[in-house]
Amino acid sequence: MTGTRKLWAALLGAALGAAALPARAATGDLPDLGPNVTVGRLPAGGGTVIVRPAQGAPVAAIELWYRAPSTGFGPKPMPAIARLAAQVVAASKPIVGGPLGKTVSEAGGRLAITVYSDSISISAAVPASAARTIVRALTTAYFAPVVTEEGYRAARGEVEQESQISSYDPETVVRDAIFAQLFSAGPQHFPSLGDPKDIAQIGFADVKAFATRAFRSQNATLVVSGAVDSGIADAAVSGRPAEGDDGPEAPATPELAASAAPVTKDFAETVGGYGWIGPAISDTREATAMDFIADYLFRNDDGYVTRQVAEKYPDAMMLGQFITLHDPGVMFVVYSGKDNTPALKALVDDGFAHVQKAMAPATFAAALEAFKYHLLSDLQTPTQIADNFGWYSVEGAAEYAPGANGERGTYFKAADSLTPDFVADVANKYFSKSPVVVTLRPGLAEKTKQQ
Amino acid sequence: MRTWLAAGALIALLGAAPAPVNRYPTALGTDLGVTKLIAESDADSAISGVQVFVAAGLDRETASNNGVSALVAECITRTLVDGVPLRDAIAADGGSISYTVDGRSVHYYLEARSEHLGALVTLFAKALTAPDFSAATLAVARASIAARQTGFETNPLSVGIEMFRRSYYATGAGRPALGSSASLAALSSRDVAAFYAANYKRHAVLSSVVGDMTPELGEALRKLASALPDGPVAQVPERAHAIPASAPRIVAHRDVAAPWVVVGFAAPSPSSGDFGAMLVLESLLSDAFDRNSATTLGFLEKSVGAFYLYDSTPASLVVYVNGSQVDPSLALRELLLVSHSLSQRPLGAGTLNRFKAAAEGQFLSDSVNLSDRSYLLGAFASQGLGDDAINAALAALERTTAADVQRVAKAYLQRYIVALVLPRQQ
Repeated sequence: MTGTRKLWAALLGAALGAAALPARAATGDLPDLGPNVTVGRLPAGGGTVIVRPAQGAPVAAIELWYRAPSTGFGPKPMPAIARLAAQVVAASKPIVGGPLGKTVSEAGGRLAITVYSDSISISAAVPASAARTIVRALTTAYFAPVVTEEGYRAARGEVEQESQISSYDPETVVRDAIFAQLFSAGPQHFPSLGDPKDIAQIGFADVKAFATRAFRSQNATLVVSGAVDSGIADAAVSGRPAEGDDGPEAPATPELAASAAPVTKDFAETVGGYGWIGPAISDTREATAMDFIADYLFRNDDGYVTRQVAEKYPDAMMLGQFITLHDPGVMFVVYSGKDNTPALKALVDDGFAHVQKAMAPATFAAALEAFKYHLLSDLQTPTQIADNFGWYSVEGAAEYAPGANGERGTYFKAADSLTPDFVADVANKYFSKSPVVVTLRPGLAEKTKQQ
Repeated sequence: MRTWLAAGALIALLGAAPAPVNRYPTALGTDLGVTKLIAESDADSAISGVQVFVAAGLDRETASNNGVSALVAECITRTLVDGVPLRDAIAADGGSISYTVDGRSVHYYLEARSEHLGALVTLFAKALTAPDFSAATLAVARASIAARQTGFETNPLSVGIEMFRRSYYATGAGRPALGSSASLAALSSRDVAAFYAANYKRHAVLSSVVGDMTPELGEALRKLASALPDGPVAQVPERAHAIPASAPRIVAHRDVAAPWVVVGFAAPSPSSGDFGAMLVLESLLSDAFDRNSATTLGFLEKSVGAFYLYDSTPASLVVYVNGSQVDPSLALRELLLVSHSLSQRPLGAGTLNRFKAAAEGQFLSDSVNLSDRSYLLGAFASQGLGDDAINAALAALERTTAADVQRVAKAYLQRYIVALVLPRQQ
């Protein structure tokens, strides 16, 4: 059984982004993220740089986050173009030096690219001794991207394979189906990774145009965390100057569907899922209450729901999460247990009914203590810290990141302000509405063929 | 003139400053009287983690009680403490507990806010020293372990590694960490209590902490060990079968989509002078066959990968071939050719440096969170690498020469066992 306690969607691989996000990265004030965090500007009018030195393992996480629609900037959505373009840049060999992927690997590091509906992160985890070199290499690669035909060919195969693998992942399939129903248009309506057919249709010229438009210093948030000094951002390069058509992209306003019909899709096994619209990131108290509810119900093996699942159906898969987004956030649940899938649904329903009543004070106090511990535990590695700052920055609320200002920050203050009644009210407000219901079942494709 | 010369020498020295080395905070050992504690301090860490190792691992199991180590541990986490199961009591206090059974030990990992960790260790000590092995608790524990076995059995890599270990080890270290459904069903409360009584002694305990080492935590760990019975900790043989030159093959069928091949080799222990060279070989065999991907591949996406398993003594190296990515016969042939070639001639300086960097990167990225770091600290220290064991391992890697790699390849990579995990229809 798998639960989840990740309170932001860094590992989810899809989410929706912002309507009109504050243009803080380009022009506004810098956020105050606490005494241990240095926040500044990238050189030559670039975006924000966040450096969070941390003691411990001699490693560093170096991440570039961009707000860019996964479906491209044009009127015709091209699912996966953001993911493919980022991979092509990493695979392309510039005139001087090797491809970024090779540079990171030769430094003993690991390079990952994760795409979300409205943003993308390029993340390197490297030995601390290589951190400056990789800050330079990463910003060189993505502030003035070189895109080659050879890189495009190599990257396309890799992204197609990634897409193929994700199509077997019930969590991804359910989440994509929920988002497609909750939102009637815009990047949030489409899967951020697309399927192999989508990727095959993206040409070299499309990729080049997207990379040039999206991957600019002015549009970037650079986050560095780990065994580094606060001056490491000096290693970042300036990138190419802003051009006329380099301005902020048109706001990708999420369009909520008027109503959401149940979805049934063909899949290798029986899987169920729900999704509800939740509060915007700006409503920090409600958003934190939703995180608390997700943690209370679905945290690994000892959540209210996951514990019952572990005891009654130990082979089952169950996870639930609130995805904190600019506006609105989304709560989603996915579960699978072969013949027991209907019984799992009953446990999920019971869980959501349970949180709509105020918890007993002692139960609530223990759950809140556990919740705050899980937050801290999820911020223990440089990559977790960098993901945290990157995600909340691109969603337009860096100061609300749980890592900002530690336990004296906005997030922990919101957590401390929760009460049993308030949590129940928030649960009633959002979960009393009909959710999007997704069912995956084997044999549907065959049945359709026969008909 | 002398001043000028001195200044010139200083400039030359500064100019030739060595490249920065990657080191963890220095770990220090403390003798708590009845037990030993090793701690690595991260001064700015809000939370801390502690591993409590008990020398009650697989190497103390027999064929008839396989799974008992896990069953004891599972019962301990479910023992009532002040009326609440231990794991629930710890969760309610804002912490977590988990355990892992390996070849040489069972290790319990507790994590919490640094200022709370001592109190949680005190809770743990109550269950550890007075565990509930009643039939009811045993039944729940057995069901929980059985569920984890199911997940294990569906992973072809885990299955292949276990097949190799069974064949390689001459002791319980080669048996499945969680036993089998049959062995668990056969274990009674009396069997579980007997294993506990034989192995849970105060001198069988070693602890390692990463985070903020508070005096309360040290005292809680001292009391934990003191509360366990005194008495000698039985020595167990650490033996493996000699791998025959005939390269034995073992075959199993599972519900997997494609065949997987696991090739197992003997390997030096972390305290050996060959440790650094084997880390380089692990890295080399892990990366040498893969297509050039722009991003780092996960184990499912890789066609060939390697794991250096040093949780048991003797240690071993396994190299896997993922049949969904590459023709297994072809990859196996290439792997064996490379292994042979590595023993025949030394690596060039550039190649050696590249794979040393990759090996260091892999080692570091496997030891970043509190759980992994505290595990490695205790596991290495118990195998003779000293208190500052993780840094000692990094230093060993840095010292490795091309001649070391060639010598170790010759000593360890020429004999192997092949485990094949095939789809059922084959």
